[in-house]
Amino acid sequence: MTARIGSALLLVLLLGGWELYGRLSGIPSLVVPLPSAVLQTLWDGLATGFLLPHIAMTSAEMTLGLAIGCAVGFLAGVLLAEVEGLRRLLYPYIIASQVVPKLALGPLFIVWFGFGMTSTVVITALICFFPLLENTITGLGQVDPNKRELFRMLRATRLQTLLRLKIPAGLPVILAGVRVSVVLALVGAVVGEFIGGRTGLGASIIAAQGMMDSTLMFALFIVITALGMAFYQAAAAIERWLLRRHWTN
Amino acid sequence: MSFVSIDSASYDVQPGQSIVDRIDWTIPAGEFHCLVGRSGCGKTTLLKLAAGLLQPTAGAIRIRGNTVREPSPEVGFVFQTPTLLEWHTALDNVLLPLSLKRRPRPEDRRKAEELLDLVGLSGLEGRHPRALSGGQQSRVAIARALITEPALLLLDEPFAALDAITREELQDDLLRLCALRGTTVLFVTHDIAEAIYLADRVAVMEAGRLHHTLAVDLPRPRGREARYSPRFTALCRELRRAMDGAPVQPVPLDAAS
Repeated sequence: MTARIGSALLLVLLLGGWELYGRLSGIPSLVVPLPSAVLQTLWDGLATGFLLPHIAMTSAEMTLGLAIGCAVGFLAGVLLAEVEGLRRLLYPYIIASQVVPKLALGPLFIVWFGFGMTSTVVITALICFFPLLENTITGLGQVDPNKRELFRMLRATRLQTLLRLKIPAGLPVILAGVRVSVVLALVGAVVGEFIGGRTGLGASIIAAQGMMDSTLMFALFIVITALGMAFYQAAAAIERWLLRRHWTN
Repeated sequence: MSFVSIDSASYDVQPGQSIVDRIDWTIPAGEFHCLVGRSGCGKTTLLKLAAGLLQPTAGAIRIRGNTVREPSPEVGFVFQTPTLLEWHTALDNVLLPLSLKRRPRPEDRRKAEELLDLVGLSGLEGRHPRALSGGQQSRVAIARALITEPALLLLDEPFAALDAITREELQDDLLRLCALRGTTVLFVTHDIAEAIYLADRVAVMEAGRLHHTLAVDLPRPRGREARYSPRFTALCRELRRAMDGAPVQPVPLDAAS
């Protein structure tokens, strides 16, 4: 509790110092806007409803991208974890594709899918795919050998071993991958909109840049941060709920 | 009638390097046999051969005359660690062997609850493994091995990690449960007193071979009295001497060259 008050005090102190410095030095608001002006812009944006369609668009892209990327990444991870030969065949390519900067493919996706939501969702899904793939392979692979032997002793089928042992046992690692994906999904959605969006928080940043409106850009940063934290907390809550039986009574 | 017969079974990791070396052993139905030896002498491997988790590279293991080729539903196995599934309650852990075969019926649940009662865990069936002590987890593991009513129970040092008092309680519970059903048991341990207390017959294993066997003639049922009787102490001493007397490692003929 004390730590929280301390954190809040630090924020007030920093913003106060920033405001004071801005007013005294007379630094142009194009370079560094005043916190009070940023908050005013943010409030106006929310009150007039100007920001709402952008927030909705970015949230929708994130959600869709996350869902598709995580689902495909999980299924591909299960497949590669279960089929040893396939894993050995594809592993060099998986490593290689990890290194490729997925955002650099953005312009290509615009050629393929056009401007707008689809391109951004595809980029987001692609970015979310890899943490899930990697963590699913790791999670399913690190099951306690004694438990595997127990399932062999109980003559469980391969599918039963997967569904009743490997996936539940690997769930903490798999869900840690989901949390990483959530953070990356926001980056994917915003940067995707930089390249090919008309609506959305990323597109709004580009528009604000065009209008030399730094105050609006700062207001958008705050919205993006809040959105990211909301998604992260939601993912953490789902994780706690799914793992409640792993840790406690 | 011999229930389990091990006929010169060997297990080689590579030719000439045997973990289990031509072992002959029979266990009559309903008897409780212990296998003692130092760590790394091959006793766990022998147990896994009997369970069908490993295949002997030579010789054979038969249960009721049938060669063991894969894990059998007639055999229960208790591992060194409790090996419970953390995401299941104690009750669901006990039901696991059944729930892998079919959806558990109400009478299965009753049976599991009864077993948990028998191992002294009544009222704890809803707990998850992490909310149970080490001894309680071992009890759940034993109940799980017994739910299918196996004719043969194989145990691999199941009590090694427990404190002395808890271990004695679990030994008594195990003897009671096995006597109740006439279960045939092969129990691996490195604890001399545990072997004497539990077994009808003890075999000493060293470097993959059986070196000595000892019949334990303590009357049953055994209790606190038996643990402190002069006969018990004498048998422990004899078993200890047998373990010391076993040659450490047969020296190859060409060792000097």
